[in-house]
Amino acid sequence: MSTPSEHPLPVCQAKDFKSDLKPIWCPGCGDFGVVQAIYRALAAIGRPPHEIAFVSGIGCSSRIPGYTTAYGFNSVHGRALPIAQGIKLANPDLLVLVAGGDGDGFSIGGGHVPHAIRRNLDLTYIVMDNQIYGLTKGQLSPTSPRGLKTVTSEYGSFENPVNPLLYVLAYGAGFVAQGTPADMASLSQVIEEAIRYPGFSFVNVQSPCVTFGEPEQQVKQHRAMMKPLATMGHDRTNRLAAMGLAQEYGRSLHTGVFYADPAPPTPLDGLVRGRQAELAGKGLPRERILEMFLQK
Amino acid sequence: MDDLVIGMAGSGGDGIVSAGESLIAAAAYEGYHAMMTKSFGSQVRGGESSCRVRLSTHKVHNPGGVLDVAVALNWDDFLKFGAELPVSGSTVVVYEAKTGVAPDALPLVGVAPREVFAVPIGELARQATGTDKAKVTVVLGLIAGWFGIARESILRGLGKKLAKKGIEVVKANERAFALGEEFARTHPLATPRSMEKPVGEIGRKLLTDGNDMCAAASIFAGCEFFGGYPITPSTEIMQFFTREVWKYGGAVLQAEDEMAGIGAALGASFAGKKAMTATSGPGMALKTEILGLASIAELPLVIVDVQRGGPSTGLPTKPEQSDLFMAAFSAHGDVLRPILAPTSVSDTFDVTVAAFNIAERYQTPVIILSDQEVAQRKETVDPIDTTRFKIEHRRVPTRAELEQYSRFRMTEDGVSPISHPGMLGGNYQGAGIEHNEQGNPTASGKIHAAMNEKRFRKLAPLKRRKDLFHIDGDPSAKLGLVAWGSIAGVCREAFATAKAEGLDVKLLVPHLLYPVAEEIYRDFFASLRAGFVVELSHQGQLYRILRMFTDVPASVVSFCRSGANPIQPQDVLAKLREAASALQQPVTQISAED
Repeated sequence: MSTPSEHPLPVCQAKDFKSDLKPIWCPGCGDFGVVQAIYRALAAIGRPPHEIAFVSGIGCSSRIPGYTTAYGFNSVHGRALPIAQGIKLANPDLLVLVAGGDGDGFSIGGGHVPHAIRRNLDLTYIVMDNQIYGLTKGQLSPTSPRGLKTVTSEYGSFENPVNPLLYVLAYGAGFVAQGTPADMASLSQVIEEAIRYPGFSFVNVQSPCVTFGEPEQQVKQHRAMMKPLATMGHDRTNRLAAMGLAQEYGRSLHTGVFYADPAPPTPLDGLVRGRQAELAGKGLPRERILEMFLQK
Repeated sequence: MDDLVIGMAGSGGDGIVSAGESLIAAAAYEGYHAMMTKSFGSQVRGGESSCRVRLSTHKVHNPGGVLDVAVALNWDDFLKFGAELPVSGSTVVVYEAKTGVAPDALPLVGVAPREVFAVPIGELARQATGTDKAKVTVVLGLIAGWFGIARESILRGLGKKLAKKGIEVVKANERAFALGEEFARTHPLATPRSMEKPVGEIGRKLLTDGNDMCAAASIFAGCEFFGGYPITPSTEIMQFFTREVWKYGGAVLQAEDEMAGIGAALGASFAGKKAMTATSGPGMALKTEILGLASIAELPLVIVDVQRGGPSTGLPTKPEQSDLFMAAFSAHGDVLRPILAPTSVSDTFDVTVAAFNIAERYQTPVIILSDQEVAQRKETVDPIDTTRFKIEHRRVPTRAELEQYSRFRMTEDGVSPISHPGMLGGNYQGAGIEHNEQGNPTASGKIHAAMNEKRFRKLAPLKRRKDLFHIDGDPSAKLGLVAWGSIAGVCREAFATAKAEGLDVKLLVPHLLYPVAEEIYRDFFASLRAGFVVELSHQGQLYRILRMFTDVPASVVSFCRSGANPIQPQDVLAKLREAASALQQPVTQISAED
């Protein structure tokens, strides 16, 4: 996470991150819990809203930046990660959050995830995973379970779902966690930890769709289903153990931190600052840059 | 002799392009005006390779038409370039004797060159160096010998270039060069031709290509971020950034794909930095969705499309001017984004700076439509006085404006002050969704119409930017040429010759292609009895766009052909002569009224 502002401002509370916009989400949507958890995490972090850039793609969940007081960018479908990386590279002092749905992150934008991971800029990616396309009214999503009947799988889906947890662990993400709005304390805790992690961090939130989701996968059921990793003796510094647990995605609802690199490498934005410092002043002054083309 | 066009071809490993680079570097150092184009098959190694170098004591605008000197290391490769290396009765042909072709049986159908020399190029190279590798050094010796060009500077350049390979290699190449010179001395041209000395001072000229010029101009204009994905023929722009941008506190991202490249650049712009991306046709197609986002989010962004032959992979190493429709119209929704086109390496600087200034002032994406020729040809450039360029920055809100900030506030000129993350009080939601003045999402048709009107209105002043149009010749001329991009250079030469011949002609070269400056064209067309919009594309895309947005008289027609089929100054000249003589035919009612 980046260094706090040099000018101390009044400490922000969770409510200071809440904007005046009324969410478009259906009553009972899991995303209400996610945005609350983000308010709480940001209040705990202590950076003021204007030092936060919150980028999203397209989907119900991608409306989330607008419900915060941060600088938001509700961009195009699937491209939140590249835009966020450009922001972070342009101004590494910013706290950069990225959020979206499972379709945004693992279908149309799936190609960007491995690269964001290997590039390892210090930003936090929160996926609100509901296994369905809600905004377009109930089609299959990349995380829909096999056999699911939807408006685009009238007789049941033939396709296996993407496993977001295994996906990001396999590509080497340094911080991987999962949460559910059924456990707000844990959810805001893992989001806070993810933001504090100095590098690319990923939080998968099982955020049920109240309108098109399966009735047995709602927040109410999560309370009974969830298995907090902290109570299971899981070693969060063991990537292979994390991948073993992640295999149960879709069958078990593990919550908490799957993996946190105990010795995080310098994130890319740090390396970039280093190179900028090393090469500063080594170029011709801007107004004389063409002299590099002189034939001497 | 004050102008010399040399074309050389061989196979990929022969070092043809390296020879051309040595020649143009030496010529530039001496103060000649010079231009060099390269042409390849699309193979990475091997295959055919050619270059064309034009040297002159006066300013030149295109790489020249018919060759004065044609060098063929083998005929198969030479012939693959067809019209790119045209030989005529005025050409001196030099070729590798080992090809076994008799000087009177050259595989050049219907052409009797001025003089023909079969030179044992490979043999001389082996004699000097023990290997074939110095063949092109022998060729440089031949050219220096016959045409009296830049002997010392070529040797000096070779010495610098080969220094890291050791003194032995340098000496061996000097011997190869000397054998070439010696051959030229013992086999003189029937009519001796020697280049005049250049007028310029030694070591004052710049030498570079359009891609490097574009990148350098971007840094001059204050660009601090580049995001892109490798694609021929634009990649050198990104490569330049990876070497240089860090020195200016900026950053570069070689992205995983074209969308991520423009996405990262747009993110950097959202964060308050001047940013750009570069690509070619296929990549431009992929970037289109985010271009729309840049327009509605009103974020400054410069996008370079170095055009190549299309559609799809098309002719990736050859120039064409066929992306103009895509640049102007490949958009969802009602969008106006300015399009600029450089016509030379030199004015790539002006156009790039103008693109950043327009992007920043109007908070809009701006497309630079370059083309493979401008982008990859090397050209001597006279020193540019950078102090005459004003650098613009986006208008940020004042402290008072931040008290009650509205990101998309309706202003008289349509430009709203723009904040960026980190600015206290400027917090807003950037979005691809339609929004009200505060930036909040809306589905209101009334607001949508008002915002569309604002986004178009702010760009209206561009149509009055006369500085982005270059008009030469008598305003009342009856003949006219309109040309953009690299073809403008061809037309400048045709125009100069036509004027010298006494034709009543004028020339319009737009740097701004879109939005169409209706009045500038209308004024230009008013006096014309015949005119040509000259373009390297099958459809004549600028001509079509002009017809869409302004009144183009029936006497102004399109003269176009597909990319990789060079339009030469003499082709344009022929059109002008034909039109001029048609205008002189008496008896028609119209001419009787004159």
